[in-house]
Amino acid sequence: MSDVSAHPSLSGYEVPIDSWTQPFWDATATRKLVLPRCADCDRFRWPPGPFCPGCHSQRVEWVPAGDGQIYSFTIITKGDGDQHQVFVPALIEFPEAGGLRLVAAIVETPLAAVRIGARVELSWSHAANATVPVFKIVTL
Amino acid sequence: MKHESAIAGVGATPYYFRGQSAPQTLYEMICKAILAAVEDAGLTIRDVDGLAFYSMGFDSGLIAESLGIPELTFASTVSGTGGGSAGVLDLAAMAVETGRAKTVICVGACQQLQIRYGTAFSHMPVTPEKAWERAAGLTGPGQVFALIARRHMHTYGTRREAFAEVVISSRLYAATRESAIRRRPLSIDEYMAAPMLADPLCRLDFTLETDGAVAFVVTSGERARDLKRRPVYIAASAHGGTCEWGRAFHWLNMPDPIFTTAGSEPIAARLYAAAGIGPKEIDVALIYDHFSPLVIMQLEDYGFCHRGEGGAFVESGAIRINGSIPVNPHGGHLSEAYIIGMTHIREAVEQLRGEAVNQIEGAQFALVTGGPAPIPMSGAILRN
Repeated sequence: MSDVSAHPSLSGYEVPIDSWTQPFWDATATRKLVLPRCADCDRFRWPPGPFCPGCHSQRVEWVPAGDGQIYSFTIITKGDGDQHQVFVPALIEFPEAGGLRLVAAIVETPLAAVRIGARVELSWSHAANATVPVFKIVTL
Repeated sequence: MKHESAIAGVGATPYYFRGQSAPQTLYEMICKAILAAVEDAGLTIRDVDGLAFYSMGFDSGLIAESLGIPELTFASTVSGTGGGSAGVLDLAAMAVETGRAKTVICVGACQQLQIRYGTAFSHMPVTPEKAWERAAGLTGPGQVFALIARRHMHTYGTRREAFAEVVISSRLYAATRESAIRRRPLSIDEYMAAPMLADPLCRLDFTLETDGAVAFVVTSGERARDLKRRPVYIAASAHGGTCEWGRAFHWLNMPDPIFTTAGSEPIAARLYAAAGIGPKEIDVALIYDHFSPLVIMQLEDYGFCHRGEGGAFVESGAIRINGSIPVNPHGGHLSEAYIIGMTHIREAVEQLRGEAVNQIEGAQFALVTGGPAPIPMSGAILRN
């Protein structure tokens, strides 16, 4: 299979942001991927929200996500023949962030390389108002 | 049980392929189903004093105005979406058992004129906590369940042949059922040749998209015994769910091993405890089948086989009419029609009245499940 995964079409997508998700998108604007950890009990939480579900603290530290790997993925084909494109929405797991999973697209990657457990590296795509994290497979 | 409620009447419109129910309106179909259910029970609309909904519900005032329901003393909705389909019985039973109402109508309906449910996410306003799924290119629930299905395959070795068997068996049942939309037998080769919509899910793994309405009359068991039809008792009903399942496909951070379930284990435990029976006593299972892999995961959740063995279990023929647990003898959402779980309750009633098209001989207990979805999820055990 020679197909290579495409970037999702996000140019018309206005990412909705609230006060609890703002730091995530502020960081991606500077091309950094950070995840929310409770500043009191160190538990990661997702999505970014007003309370730690463990201790109910509202204090959050935003820490680098660390290395990610594919937890699961799907393949969506759009269009026919020469015009078709393949998209690979995936669930990326971050072991250094307590196993937190982020749903994001795998881009610019041959389908043959997409598998559960594959290590990914960060890349970027662009929505109307935000920089969106996407991932590529690390190939040695 | 002394205070058990019962389903005393069932009514439904015909089932239509998506959009084909026009020029009828949605509320026209809802009212037709309610009138038919009341007639089936041998009651009149003046007896109705309660309405129970799920999946965002309907306009109680409009229904009361349209049908001239004199007074409602109960009108409530199970929160969430299709997860609450069987929970509508829980709500109605609570109303009846607490004396809030005597005759509660449960109704579900759908009409897809403009918006297809399969692309539902792209028609809903995105909220900040759901921003990532849209950014990942996900536009419908089937694509997200594909993530869960693939992980189940990876963890347990589940094969596409198992998904195929769920679809093929539903089609075998539908062949004899006139209300079913897809009645032509399906071969494994045809299944494998179907286009992938969200790998590993092909088009045939997705529910039908149909229009129609189905309604039930719930009243006390004692009163139901004096009415026209054989009562079908609500032996147990439950809705709810745990924080570890939460928003399910909108969250995707369910801890292992819960990620590769249908999220219904807590509901199953409560139902079996309340009914005083276990999976071995269930004669027929009406399993919410919006996507075929989730049937397999629910069979595991409800204890018909061990965790991770659902694929081999269905491949063994267990869910066919002579199998250990016949599943969806009406053809389910995959082959009969999709009215957000209501057709499953209808089939349970027909089975327990002994008048089903594909009757399971001597059926005494039927399990009905609500959709694997954000909580609340739901389920019910019915008996005759």
